[in-house]
Amino acid sequence: MGPVELLHMSVFSQSFSPCGRFLAAGNNYGEIALFSLSAALSPDSTVLSQKPVLTFTAHEGPIFSLLSTDCHLLSAGNGEISAWSWTELIKKNVKPLWTKRPNYKSSLEIPEINSMVINAKDNSLVVGGGDNNIHILDLEHGVFKSVLQGHSDYIHCVSVREREAEILSGGEDGAVRIWDSRTGQSVHCIEVYKYESCARPQYGKWISCVTTDSDWMLCGGGPSMSLWHLRSLSPTSIFPLTGCQRQATFYQDMILAVGEGPFVSHCLLGGEVKAEIPCTPQSLNTMQLNTNSTEHRVLTVGGSSNHIDVFTNLSYRAFSLSF
Amino acid sequence: MSSESLKKRKTKVLRSEGGTPEMKRGRGDGDQQDVQVYSEEMELDGRDPEQDYLQYKESCENLVTLMNEIQELKASGAKDGCAEIEQRRMQSCIHFMNLKKLNRLAHMRLKRGRDQTHEAKQKVDVLHLQLQNLLYEVMHLQKEISKCLEFKSKHEEIDLVSEEEFYQGAPSEISRPMLTKNDPHQLTLARLDWELEQRKRLAEKYKESLATKEKIQKSIEVKKEHLRSLQPGLNNIMQASLPVQEYLSMPFEQTQKQTEIARHLPPPLYVLFVQANAYGQACDKNLNVSIIGDVDEAKALSKPPEDSQDDESDSDAEEEQEKTKRRRPTTGGQLDDKRREMLKRHPLSLCLDLKCKDSSILNLYFYYLMNLNIMTVKSKVSTSTDLNTAISAGELLKSETLLSCLYTNDQGRETPNPANRYQFDKVGIVSFADYVEELGHPYMWVQDLGGLHFPTDVSECVRVGSSLSASHMETTMKLLRGRVQSRLALHKQFASLEHSIIPVSSECQHLFPAKIITRLARWTTITYQEYTDLSYTQHVTSAGLAKETDLYFMGVVERGTARLQAAVVLSPRYPEISPLFSLSLSWKGERSGRTDDNLRAMESEVNVFKNELQGPRPGHQLLTNQFARLCVCLDVYLETEGHDDSVEGPREFPREKMCLRTVRGPNRLKPFKYNHPQGFFSHR
Repeated sequence: MGPVELLHMSVFSQSFSPCGRFLAAGNNYGEIALFSLSAALSPDSTVLSQKPVLTFTAHEGPIFSLLSTDCHLLSAGNGEISAWSWTELIKKNVKPLWTKRPNYKSSLEIPEINSMVINAKDNSLVVGGGDNNIHILDLEHGVFKSVLQGHSDYIHCVSVREREAEILSGGEDGAVRIWDSRTGQSVHCIEVYKYESCARPQYGKWISCVTTDSDWMLCGGGPSMSLWHLRSLSPTSIFPLTGCQRQATFYQDMILAVGEGPFVSHCLLGGEVKAEIPCTPQSLNTMQLNTNSTEHRVLTVGGSSNHIDVFTNLSYRAFSLSF
Repeated sequence: MSSESLKKRKTKVLRSEGGTPEMKRGRGDGDQQDVQVYSEEMELDGRDPEQDYLQYKESCENLVTLMNEIQELKASGAKDGCAEIEQRRMQSCIHFMNLKKLNRLAHMRLKRGRDQTHEAKQKVDVLHLQLQNLLYEVMHLQKEISKCLEFKSKHEEIDLVSEEEFYQGAPSEISRPMLTKNDPHQLTLARLDWELEQRKRLAEKYKESLATKEKIQKSIEVKKEHLRSLQPGLNNIMQASLPVQEYLSMPFEQTQKQTEIARHLPPPLYVLFVQANAYGQACDKNLNVSIIGDVDEAKALSKPPEDSQDDESDSDAEEEQEKTKRRRPTTGGQLDDKRREMLKRHPLSLCLDLKCKDSSILNLYFYYLMNLNIMTVKSKVSTSTDLNTAISAGELLKSETLLSCLYTNDQGRETPNPANRYQFDKVGIVSFADYVEELGHPYMWVQDLGGLHFPTDVSECVRVGSSLSASHMETTMKLLRGRVQSRLALHKQFASLEHSIIPVSSECQHLFPAKIITRLARWTTITYQEYTDLSYTQHVTSAGLAKETDLYFMGVVERGTARLQAAVVLSPRYPEISPLFSLSLSWKGERSGRTDDNLRAMESEVNVFKNELQGPRPGHQLLTNQFARLCVCLDVYLETEGHDDSVEGPREFPREKMCLRTVRGPNRLKPFKYNHPQGFFSHR
């Protein structure tokens, strides 16, 4: 990888290993890099320990989504999903366990996969991407069992409400759709850009992040990031963040969000922005909290740079991992 | 006077000595004085000192008893002057007289003893002197004897024939065996006679030989004259044959002359000369090597090579001393001279002419700095056509930048010889870079071509001399030729870029759609400083991809109200290292590749996916193709920009390009990839 390629690298996705000691990150060149958190966080860490322990090319196109199950790492490339065994990866054996491709209608361009999420209830993988449809992969049998159709443009993000057995998806068409995972029917459709308090016509209408917590939903993108009460389907608080948000998550009594701009935003549920913590990349694509291991409990963010910033404490950047 | 005084004193002493006895005698004996003195002397001979001593003791004891008796008497109450006391006093007086006499005698005895010793000593002295004289005489005689014994006759040095040979060779009137057989002296004389006879004969022979030698020399002279008279004739023939040589393209004479001159080249230049010649003959007919400079000066320099070396070091040492002696005065002039001396070039230099396909010629001038032991190069490009059209291309063919970084990081600004550092310190040169303008650049590859090897921290296989030069010759020549061609190609491209034309060759037509609306508006050079001051190039600078040796340009492409600035880093090793673009778009506010993901994608489209744009090998069209792609990308960017429905009126940039999807992926990238021949745009 030459210096020019490094200069134009973007990190799109991250996932922690089930043991919590490793971080996998995918970039725009289709590469996955494995970082050892235990080495980077140890007191005697060097510059070398902030470099990946393993880098391999997983897919042809950019890797927009990475996901870890109990023992597998799932990576989504250009229209295909590959599974890798974590134990093998740690031993530096690079061989996919399987590679699957959703049944796309024939198209000139292979649709990308933007988001994946595990539905633990029936052990299935919810995949949203460039063909406007949500594909559901049965992980037990390894077949795509259903397709949820409804969006009129490509899907940015998917999320699962486990208690209610509902799937949420946000797309380029500006709609957040709520699906019943058992029937495969669209239950609700919230067109966020139509709510005046959220709309930001100068940006656009797409929804690029959706996440839920019990009765609450957080979504953002072209419209302002907003917190919704799902039972009443109404926005309760709007966050005055500049730029478009690409990922948001609930953390304790706070909301963390990343997107355009070189900072991680800390917001209170009430709608105030508490802090904006600066980081290295000029715009951020991905943010992950390592909950798998208590001793390596860190927040990592990646974006338009070959660096992945690591926060051991949420209020400042500790160091950067780099490709 | 002194003797007189001595006498006086003697008399005095005599008088004082004899003073008291005279007076007493005068009182006691009256007229019998003379007889008394004589008798006392005589009496001395007759007396025994031992007895005198006993007498002296006895009188002392008597005195003591008498004194005691007087004291007893006095203590018992006897009056002074009573008869007993008086009688005792008389007795004691007699004893006193006796003591005095004894004393006198003792003195006289002492004097006599002294006199006797003195006499004996004088006698001994005389005898000793005599002995000395005799010893000296003996020594002298011994010396004479040894001198005589050591005498050497002259004939001993003469190497004589042995006795047997003498009797065999010598006629009997000289050898006279009757006489000589028994008398060694006569024998030696005879042998000497024979020796003389023989020598006389040999001298005769020597004279004869000299005469013949003279004769032969004369004949040689005559023959030489004859040969010399042949030279002009031969020269004429040579002259006449030159056109034939040229006609047959066999420049014997020229090469001969060059090799003659080449003998005076310093070793590194000689290595380069030989290797370049060899390479030229073997692989590259378009390589021409010639020697330029003052041959006579070089001859003078090469004659006493060791001497000059010594002088050098001597003068250095002197300089050192001078420096330490007086630090302050007249440093300026002296140091200047010293610097000049240190940076002196060898009077001969090599000129390498490298012809390229398009009849442009790269002239390389190699110099050797004698005191620094490094080689430098200056370059010049001469072309068949006039090239002074493009302003921005000025830097391209300049001697300073033309050969910069031919190999990675070889900037040719600092001297590659680590030893020079110390030499510079001595004369106060801060950096060699201040002198490259005048002396030429000491690139590493130049040293390699000259067979000079300076070890660096990177361990590598060490080769020196010809093999080092030979191993680098081919690659370097290829690189040089490639460099000139790329520079000339760039020159042409710059000329058209300045006229806002992006030339796209027919081989590269398929890379771009037929209709490109975005146009190049401006193409100028900028300085390194200006480049680093731009806000949207910070990431390039901090990644260490913008070096001072690079060339910097600013291109502006425009479409309607949108204006895209592209700051370009052009490496001297172009096209091997591709130009690096950084973008800033001013349209509805300012955006740059740092803040806008799509502009960032456009940057990577030209910077990262450059391999598609290289065109026919060796990729000289890369820069213009990058610009063409940039224009296409801007078209796509503007046409696919989301239209805000709330704003009235027609779109400024109507959708003309065929796109499968306008946005894709989480960061909503636009389709910048052009697909030939279908003619649609898709995502990477």
